[in-house]
Amino acid sequence: MKRTVPVCFVLAVFILMLMLCGCSRRASEQRGEELFDLHCALCHENPVPDLKKQPPRLEKLFESPQLPSGEPATDQQVRKTVLEGLRTMPAFDKRLSDRDLDDLVAYLHTLK
Amino acid sequence: MNVKQLLPLALLGAIWMAGCQSGSKQYEFQGQVLDKNPATQELTVKHGDIPGFMPAMTMAYTVKDPNNFQNVKAGDVIAAKVVAAKGGTEYWLENVRITDESGRKTAKGGSVHRLDVGDQVPDLALINQDGKTFSLSDFKGKAVLLTFIYTRCPVPTFCPRLSGQFAKIQDDLSHAPDDFSKTHLITISFDPKYDTPPVLRKYGLAYLDNNPTGFSHWDFASTNASDLKKLADAFGLEYFEEDNQISHTMDIVLISPEGKVVKYWGTKWTTPELEAALRQQAKSAPAPAQGRAQRKAG
Repeated sequence: MKRTVPVCFVLAVFILMLMLCGCSRRASEQRGEELFDLHCALCHENPVPDLKKQPPRLEKLFESPQLPSGEPATDQQVRKTVLEGLRTMPAFDKRLSDRDLDDLVAYLHTLK
Repeated sequence: MNVKQLLPLALLGAIWMAGCQSGSKQYEFQGQVLDKNPATQELTVKHGDIPGFMPAMTMAYTVKDPNNFQNVKAGDVIAAKVVAAKGGTEYWLENVRITDESGRKTAKGGSVHRLDVGDQVPDLALINQDGKTFSLSDFKGKAVLLTFIYTRCPVPTFCPRLSGQFAKIQDDLSHAPDDFSKTHLITISFDPKYDTPPVLRKYGLAYLDNNPTGFSHWDFASTNASDLKKLADAFGLEYFEEDNQISHTMDIVLISPEGKVVKYWGTKWTTPELEAALRQQAKSAPAPAQGRAQRKAG
C-alpha cells in the first residue's frame, strides 16, 4: 500500500525549520551583541581618552561599499581587521574564536 | 497640576539624578583581591568581565571608604560596584562586600619590591622596533619616560591611553628642540611572544602619525621573558597571562639623566603632569647625549 505524507505535516516541518533557522540567527546576533558590548563598545561607542584620532562608530558598517579604513566592506575584511588590528585598534588574535567572529559579524550587519 | 501629582515626578527625578552621579557609570563587580596597599587605599583585584567597562583583568582599584577598605584582606573574594567617571579614566570601588574569606591564607601577600626613588635603573638589553639592541644606560644624559604596554591590550583606559599620552608628549616635545634633544620615551611590551619588532614597529607608527623618524626619540621595545621579569620587578610592574590576554598593572617611570629613578605613576596622572616632570628633568641634563645618536646611525 502506498503511503503518503500529509501536506499539512510537510508544511508544519517546513515552518518549524524556518523558525529554528530564525532562532539560530537571532541567537548568533544576540551573542554577537554581547561580544560587541564587551570588546568593541569600549572604544567604538565611547570617546577614548588621550587618543588623537577617535575610533569610528560602526553603525551602517556594511551599508557603505567601503569600511572607514577604505578597504572593501566585506565580512572577510572585517574579520581580518578584528583579528589583526588596525592602526591604534588592538589585534584580537587568539582572543576571539571563529564562532565569536561569525557572531560578531552577524551582529555588525544588524547595526543600522 | 497639584503638589500630589508632582510628587511622583519629583521622586523619579531624584532617583534619576542619584543614578547619574555627575556623568559616572556604575557596574557590578566581582573578583579576588590579590594585594592590598594601605598607603594608597588600593586593592589589586583579579576580576571577571565587566560588560561595558572592561574585559576580565587584574588591576588596582581605589576604595574611597576607609572602613570599607579596612575590612578586606588579600585573598578575599569580593563583590562591589565599580564607579567609572570622566570617560573611564577615573574609577573606584564602592560598597565592597566580602563574599568568600577562604582564600585568605593562600593569597599572595605584599607588593613586588621595586626600586626606590634615587636607585640606579638596571642595565638590561632590550630589542627595539627595528630589531636593534640597546639598554637603558644608552640614555645617560637624557631624561627618560618609560612605560609598559602590550599591543593587544583591549582596554582603552590602559595601554592605548598610555601610548596616546606618550604620543602627545612626543608631539609637544618635537616643537621644543632643546627639550627634545634631552629627553627620550621608551614603551616596553611585556608580551614578547606576540610583540615582535615588526609588530612593535607597526604599533609605534600608529602613534607616530606613520612617521618613522619619530622612533629616534621614542623606542618601542621588548626583551626575553627572563630579563623582562627582572625589569618589571625593578619598576614594580605586575603582569600575568590568562585566557590569551594579559592582566597587568600600569606603571610609568621617570628616569633622570644620571640613570636614577625619579618618580613613579601607577594610578593617577595626567599628560601635562608627565610632560612637565620630564621637561623639568631635562633641565638638569648637561648636553645632548652622543652615544644614542651613534647607535641610531649604526
